[in-house]
Amino acid sequence: MMKRVAVAFGLLVSSTFPVFGGDINVPVESYKLKNGLRVILSRDNAVPVITVYMIYDVGSRSEEKGRTGFAHLFEHMMFEGSANAPKGTQFAQVESNGGILNGSTHPDFTDYYEVLPSNKLATALWLESDRMRSLSITEENLKNQKEAVKQERRLSFDNQPYQTAIVEVWPTLMFQNWQSSHSLIGSFEDLNNSTVADVSKFFKTYYAPDNAALVIVGDIQTEAAKKLIETYFGDIAAQPLPKRPDLTEPADFKPVKKVYKDALAQVPAVIIGYPGPKRRSPDYYALHMVDAILTAGDSSRFRMDLVKGKESILQYEAELGWPFASARDYRDPEPYAMFIVHKPNFTGDQIVSQIQDEIAKLQAAPVDDKELERVKTQVRAGAIKEMQSSQNRAEALAQFQLADGDPNLINTELDRILAVTPAQIQAAAKKYLTPDKRAVLEIQPAPAQAGKEDK
Amino acid sequence: MLRTSLALLAVAAGLYAQPVDRTKAPQTPPIPSYKLPPVTQGKLPNGLAIEIVEDTRFPLVTARLNFMAGSKFDPADTPGLADAVASLLNEGTKARDSRRISEETDAIGGALGASAGPDSLTVVGSSLSEHLTAMLDLLSDITLNANFPANEVNLYRQNKLQSLLQAHTQPSYLAAEKMNQVVYGSSPYAHIAPTPDSLKKLDPKVLAQFRDTYLVPNNATLILIGKLPPKAEVLALVTKYFGAWKEKSLPAAPKIEIPAPKRQIVLVDRPGSVQADIHVGRSAPIRTTNEFFPLTVTNNILGGGTNSRMFADIRERDGYAYDAHSEYATNREAAMISAVTQVRNDVIEPALKDVLEELDKLGATPVAAPELSNVKGYMSGLYLLRLETQDGLASQLNNMKTLGLPDNYLETYTTRVRSVEPDQIQAVAKKYLSTGQAAIVVVGDSTKIGDALKKFGEVTIVKAQ
Repeated sequence: MMKRVAVAFGLLVSSTFPVFGGDINVPVESYKLKNGLRVILSRDNAVPVITVYMIYDVGSRSEEKGRTGFAHLFEHMMFEGSANAPKGTQFAQVESNGGILNGSTHPDFTDYYEVLPSNKLATALWLESDRMRSLSITEENLKNQKEAVKQERRLSFDNQPYQTAIVEVWPTLMFQNWQSSHSLIGSFEDLNNSTVADVSKFFKTYYAPDNAALVIVGDIQTEAAKKLIETYFGDIAAQPLPKRPDLTEPADFKPVKKVYKDALAQVPAVIIGYPGPKRRSPDYYALHMVDAILTAGDSSRFRMDLVKGKESILQYEAELGWPFASARDYRDPEPYAMFIVHKPNFTGDQIVSQIQDEIAKLQAAPVDDKELERVKTQVRAGAIKEMQSSQNRAEALAQFQLADGDPNLINTELDRILAVTPAQIQAAAKKYLTPDKRAVLEIQPAPAQAGKEDK
Repeated sequence: MLRTSLALLAVAAGLYAQPVDRTKAPQTPPIPSYKLPPVTQGKLPNGLAIEIVEDTRFPLVTARLNFMAGSKFDPADTPGLADAVASLLNEGTKARDSRRISEETDAIGGALGASAGPDSLTVVGSSLSEHLTAMLDLLSDITLNANFPANEVNLYRQNKLQSLLQAHTQPSYLAAEKMNQVVYGSSPYAHIAPTPDSLKKLDPKVLAQFRDTYLVPNNATLILIGKLPPKAEVLALVTKYFGAWKEKSLPAAPKIEIPAPKRQIVLVDRPGSVQADIHVGRSAPIRTTNEFFPLTVTNNILGGGTNSRMFADIRERDGYAYDAHSEYATNREAAMISAVTQVRNDVIEPALKDVLEELDKLGATPVAAPELSNVKGYMSGLYLLRLETQDGLASQLNNMKTLGLPDNYLETYTTRVRSVEPDQIQAVAKKYLSTGQAAIVVVGDSTKIGDALKKFGEVTIVKAQ
């Protein structure tokens, strides 16, 4: 579940832990402006810090053919300035107050946030509303950001071990539908072909108040915050709601295995994935527990049996939604997948069968109560720890609002996971995690000239 | 519920867009003051100092057990010993093997481990608050009873050797290693890692001996933060798990004597390097001096964040580097300030010239009011952001112990940052940043950058070790 190795997923990843509520009681007050902007306020006056978090209902799965990587390119354009806050203003305003800011592109949404001392609420609202209202879309900014994205691609993907396999190859094994299987970082050709007209159209279609939610968490006075929000966002015009992309996958998943020769990798790895259950169905919660039994904590089965016992694997990460950081990153369909770096004296096939053997144990017999209790405690503690930061709370509220229409899930999802029984775990492992529903990508280190054949 | 719906009604009536001038950044109130939660201090008869902070926001507890037992206490022939002790504390005790420690830690929703810095060694534990007792039990067991099993020590030695080899392929590591040697001379602060030879000396006996010498109650502070039971109960628990621990007299602390700073140029030769790592710096005042606040503000003007001069000039204006920043690294008894950047080989000469200019300029010209005010805002805001989580506050309190800072350090931090004046900045900059006494350490390919460096003075070329 939560073990992340050095191979983080760059800009596409935003959080590092799945978030649920449970013992947490996060205050939630939500309402809608006349223009459709959904607003969620969560007041916590303990430390004078706020997170202002804007989420837009568009991600890389909304892209059109010939425009791969466009959602991410557009995200970069959001930092190029707006009518009243020219280029550089966002960084200068936030940093000169000791704050942090960033944005990230996900399969089904795109987010932007500022974390600041709480006296700077108006500043953050001014910056976010100004770019929603009047983004500076110019030829020069676009050219500039195309180059920045290409440089980012070279640095963070093309020049890194494993990343090309993860971002370019893996989705084509896990998904049949082009909306989900295409490259999220995009091809150089598609980035080059993007025009100012594309940017304007995307902005008008998706970056409208009724296609977004604004979350503010932290040290606010609720009434004053509401007035400021109305002042800055109230008169931005709504747009017709965009059509959601059709993400349907064919009903029958065909098992698949591929080898990718990676010229930059020194150590071999495998990616293993299975199509997952419907979001928030009983099996979905059961698979969360399967994942935690396998990978959460120092005493997880992968660490005890494979890192220590068989001494075969070195690092592992697994997640509903992998390679993204959290199950909340995807709407349906969402896979359960894992990334394993292993010692070179084992073949990829051997590792895949060791992993499948670990899963087979869960399928053969119900997990014993003592272990399950320990894993549930881990899951609970992890969820609570994550809730300490206002930024994490804001992100969870925003994602639940967009994907499920209910920010209050922040306080109840953990209970659903903790209610999972040994029988449900066994049944979900049997139903979903079988070799006939499995995709495998072996990543083998390769000398430079051999690296191209698979691309 | 009633209150919420009434509030909503009131808002509905009052919700209208107020006229606002969007062309300018909004006027905002001053940065809020923040009163830290009170810290209750105590001491057990065996000398263990205790600090308790109540934080009821989340059902979590965090413990930091701080010892004055960092790498400066490593014996001269065994650098890396403190680090090895810290890494191996949770790999087995008389009562629990490594697996049992992992299982029991997970069962309380916890984390357990230790790490060593230059001055202190810190054992860290955390758990759900309902498992405070079990967490203190584990924390006490690994601290007092670790038995450093031979197989775990061997695995540690093998893995550490690999990571050491790996580290020496990194230019940033080579630069840090050389800077510490140049600035701290033959003092114990000069070493930052073990050597292949010192790793061979590690065995259960050597590790236990260091633990028995320095991990004693009269050399320790236990910081407890979180949703805790009443104070008396906490004290009873701490007494139960740490009370029988025997006080012991400590050996004399190593003497820290560092060489007088002087201008020198050292090139660490790294054949094939496509970049040159530039570090320019010298020794600087420690945190408890009056010069600390002026110098830490100066450091942030020079190279803290994307509004700083290093970033604006070396990166944005010149396009020489992706990273350009400065560092003010304070140990308890000695500190170092340095400007750092990594540039393409072909621009080493203009880039180094620009770095030296940035340093000298701060002593020559007073800083302008808007720039100073931005930097103070940056530092005050960062300070607040760092206190948001339980771990954040625990780290700050732990750091205060390590560096010997006064109890009111956190409370007065922002005020002291805000009170720094331009003439104080110019004075400390002249004293500590003027390049006449600055060491220049460059890591790079001597055949590519050696000649350019010689234009700045005599160059000592050393091999990457």
